[in-house]
Amino acid sequence: MNKHKPQHELQHKQAFDEPLWWGLFSAGGVCFAVLLPAVILFIAVLLPLGLLPANALNYERASALLFSVPGFLFVGAVICLPLFHAAHRLRHGLFDISVGSDALNKKLMYGGAALLSVFALGLVIAGMLS
Amino acid sequence: MDKSSSHRLLPLKRNWWLKHRFFKLYMLREATVLPLVFFILCLLAGMVALLQGAESWQGWVDFMGSPIVLVLNLLALAASLFHAATFFVLFPRVMPLRIAGHSLPDQAIVAGQWAGVVAVALLFFWLLGRA
Amino acid sequence: MSTEQVNTNNTSTKHLSVKRYLPDNSAESYWQEYELPVDDSTSLLDALNHIKEQLDSTLSYRWSCRMAICGSCGVMVNGIPKLGCKTFLRDYEGDIRIEPLSHFPVQRDLVVDMAIFLEHLAAVKPYLIDDNPAKPYDPTAPETYQQSPEQLARYKQFANCINCGLCYSACPQFGLNPEFLGPAALTLAHRYNLDSRDHGKKQRMAELNRHEGVWSCTFVGFCSKVCPKNVDPAAAVNQGKVEAAKHTLIALFKG
Repeated sequence: MNKHKPQHELQHKQAFDEPLWWGLFSAGGVCFAVLLPAVILFIAVLLPLGLLPANALNYERASALLFSVPGFLFVGAVICLPLFHAAHRLRHGLFDISVGSDALNKKLMYGGAALLSVFALGLVIAGMLS
Repeated sequence: MDKSSSHRLLPLKRNWWLKHRFFKLYMLREATVLPLVFFILCLLAGMVALLQGAESWQGWVDFMGSPIVLVLNLLALAASLFHAATFFVLFPRVMPLRIAGHSLPDQAIVAGQWAGVVAVALLFFWLLGRA
Repeated sequence: MSTEQVNTNNTSTKHLSVKRYLPDNSAESYWQEYELPVDDSTSLLDALNHIKEQLDSTLSYRWSCRMAICGSCGVMVNGIPKLGCKTFLRDYEGDIRIEPLSHFPVQRDLVVDMAIFLEHLAAVKPYLIDDNPAKPYDPTAPETYQQSPEQLARYKQFANCINCGLCYSACPQFGLNPEFLGPAALTLAHRYNLDSRDHGKKQRMAELNRHEGVWSCTFVGFCSKVCPKNVDPAAAVNQGKVEAAKHTLIALFKG
């Protein structure tokens, strides 16, 4: 048991980042569960099938809705937070099936979610400025 | 720890979750994020298209209507509902709510969350469903 | 099956496969088959005792109380961790496979080495710390430390743990990483953190808020399914995440 000692002390390190990832995961999970069913139904099913009124999401209406302050919040709740939710589950899922190292997976997953989030919010701001 | 006992311990193989129905459902729950990521990438493409102009927006709507994309997004819709069903029951266990010293029954909290899903759908109908 | 239907005259023969490991004879484990008479009241522990006394005295397993409180007769039954004394053979048809608890090193037959579980348990200090710091015990005027039924209700469910270790055998995260403190230890930490008499939360938080503390849990939830005392360790561990997050936020503002 002695050989575990130094390792044990090393592992006494506090996980100051984990509460942040878990908080984002939980918030994203709520958004995924409460908002996404309706969002997917209307935007990815009813819209392409032509089941929405013709002017419901035409170019002008969609631009006006998205490139606005509510649109910015919409992107935060429907893209950014669910991305962090997905990143957290993918990271732990990769650990579950013993793929890669957790330290690297963490950087890739949360880093990817952060980059795509900044990109998505940047698109809204670009649309508001144009 | 004597050698004979410690060397008997083997770490779980990567297919451990195939051994039991409960673990398969767990993995299915975790895998709901895969179609979610697909839908989010579609949505990001749509935002880029919207920024580019009316023509590419219409192109994106047509892309969303192609059979494979539509099927994958229907899968995402099913995944979001399965995620909701598994996520809502966890909430009262992680954060038991107490009002005036009495803990709220679990079923009430789960029902309240489903009411939220319906409310959001109605909001979308109000916003997009009318001519 | 309801208790009224239990019939001790209804005797039949059942087939039990037991995973044997006798390190003195062979480094490999093997399956051994036993046929034994059972009735509706025969528990798995009764069956093992019957084997030991009548059929094969070389079989090793742990047991003590026969009433689901000592927590020593845990084994895998068809791949699911169970207490032998709380499992009845009347509920099983066909093949019944008995193995030692998963995720622990096997010492002999159904006996596992639970040292790592006990280490994790000790690490979270599962006892009252400074339970009356304001008033040291005064023998001339002894005073009890009071707790209201409401304060008791906050942790009572989590206090029912009997340290049987079934939840560790059910937990894939412990199976993947034995350094993970695991369901029972984290639950007992939460149980004492919730106790109004306790003042040790800060010490326990240092253990809980590690990667191998609450943050290794992914809420698989199987621990709560197999718990013979309905403790719901998964809920306790995840309430521990909320507490660890609060603890981190407070530490952040205090610098």
